[in-house]
Amino acid sequence: MIKVVSVTKHFGEVSAVEEVSFEVEEGEFVFIMGPSGAGKTTLLKLLLREYLPEKGQIFFDKVDVTQLKDKEIPSFRQKIGVVFQDYKLLSERTVRENVEVPLAVIKVPQAEWEARVDTILNLVGLSKKAEMFPSQLSGGELQRVSLARALIVNPKLVMADEPTGNLDWDTAESIVELFEKINKEGKTVIMATHNHAIVDKLKNRVIELKDGKILKGKPKESKDVHPS
Amino acid sequence: MYIHLKTAFDYIKRTPFQALAATFVLSITFFVVSMLSVLVYSSGQLLRHFETRPQVIAFLKDEATPEQISALQTRLGDDSRVKNVNYITKEQALSIYKEATIDNPLLSELVSPSIFPASIEFSLEDLSFAETVIDETKKEAIVDSVGFTANLGSENTLGDVVTRLRQLTLYVRVGGGALALILAGTSFLVLVVIIGMRMTTRRGEVEILDLIGATPGFIRSPIIIEAALYALIGVFIGWLTTLILVLYATPSLVSYFGEIPILPKDAGGILGMFGIMLAAEIFVGLALALLGSMLAVSRVRAR
Repeated sequence: MIKVVSVTKHFGEVSAVEEVSFEVEEGEFVFIMGPSGAGKTTLLKLLLREYLPEKGQIFFDKVDVTQLKDKEIPSFRQKIGVVFQDYKLLSERTVRENVEVPLAVIKVPQAEWEARVDTILNLVGLSKKAEMFPSQLSGGELQRVSLARALIVNPKLVMADEPTGNLDWDTAESIVELFEKINKEGKTVIMATHNHAIVDKLKNRVIELKDGKILKGKPKESKDVHPS
Repeated sequence: MYIHLKTAFDYIKRTPFQALAATFVLSITFFVVSMLSVLVYSSGQLLRHFETRPQVIAFLKDEATPEQISALQTRLGDDSRVKNVNYITKEQALSIYKEATIDNPLLSELVSPSIFPASIEFSLEDLSFAETVIDETKKEAIVDSVGFTANLGSENTLGDVVTRLRQLTLYVRVGGGALALILAGTSFLVLVVIIGMRMTTRRGEVEILDLIGATPGFIRSPIIIEAALYALIGVFIGWLTTLILVLYATPSLVSYFGEIPILPKDAGGILGMFGIMLAAEIFVGLALALLGSMLAVSRVRAR
């Protein structure tokens, strides 16, 4: 589903990602691990075509996203659900409205919105808080809204950048369980985290980064291509 | 569309004073534009009135025979520079005189048709032909003298009248056009500034929408709708104020200008004129809103 080939990204003199290569199969749950500054977020931004690499290729369903034209980027991003550490919710919109936004973006008829939003809010356990504003929710609830927004368009791939970074252990665990649940329903999940406890709990494949380079990939898939 | 409209209304509700400022400036602009449009129309009507009314009167000698009069009438009628040729007999001249002096019967009782000369009145296709045509008419054997009716007071010659009217019309059109352009430019800048501020405060929101795959059109839509709302409200207030003022002033204007139709005589005509004006102003307003918001959005996104 995703194939990253020798991708390199620098910010000035700093090497954020260096010769990184790996593959992610459809339906996999992959952790990208590493300390702060290891290049996890940069890698996700490269996958989302927020950044363009100086070198290398990134394939999503066999399409090289580094070659996408500007006008093709929105439709590419519509296929991916993204969850952010800082939630990135619209503060002036209710939970329901935040989750509705992607439906408006992909032009789903408005008549379908309510049922779809209700289903997703039920999945993330926020049915009773649909009319509340982000400022009235806890960190865990905000992350659930963020996840609901990512899932509402039924994406094939969900990417999460430190989704538990701002949460206590119990809340983080419940969020990760949600990711596990949606992965079991067939969605591919790529999660960047530095939380070893979570990684150890789920025992999924790990791509470990340090200083922009891959340190190790779990042998189970053995498809990670290490830089030479 | 619903979500964009809702977002646009939310922006307006969040910053009511910015919204008021934009609407106020646009209302003033379109009020001035509407007033100038009425002024341009009226000055055009005034000029047309003087250009098309019977401007030249050739007073005929008493000894002129009907054949000679008819021949002169035909000759003038065939002249491409001349139009609306009309023969006024002595009796008709007397009746015109009596009508003009109806408030003072003594004056009309003292006169008889014999003292009024018969005349041929005619208009000119363009007042620039006046002097040549008058000179030619003066040379006709049966013509005693030639006069012209256009006179605004201090002018001595027809050329003066025409020059003054044309200057006035030019001043109204050029001055008014310049004023309208300055105001439209100011409105445009106010829109750009307000929408630019809106975009800056929305930077986080734009980033989120961008990341979840919103197209530039989707991101821009609420901004464009907001600007269009300001423009439409501004156009309507400016236009309505002008309409009310014109309807209020019409009786006084009609009585002051008398037979000169500086405004349409009936309510239907006035509403028709204002309908066309409203359509044109909506077009201009929406164009300003669209251009202003596009410019503001592109400037903020480029930063």
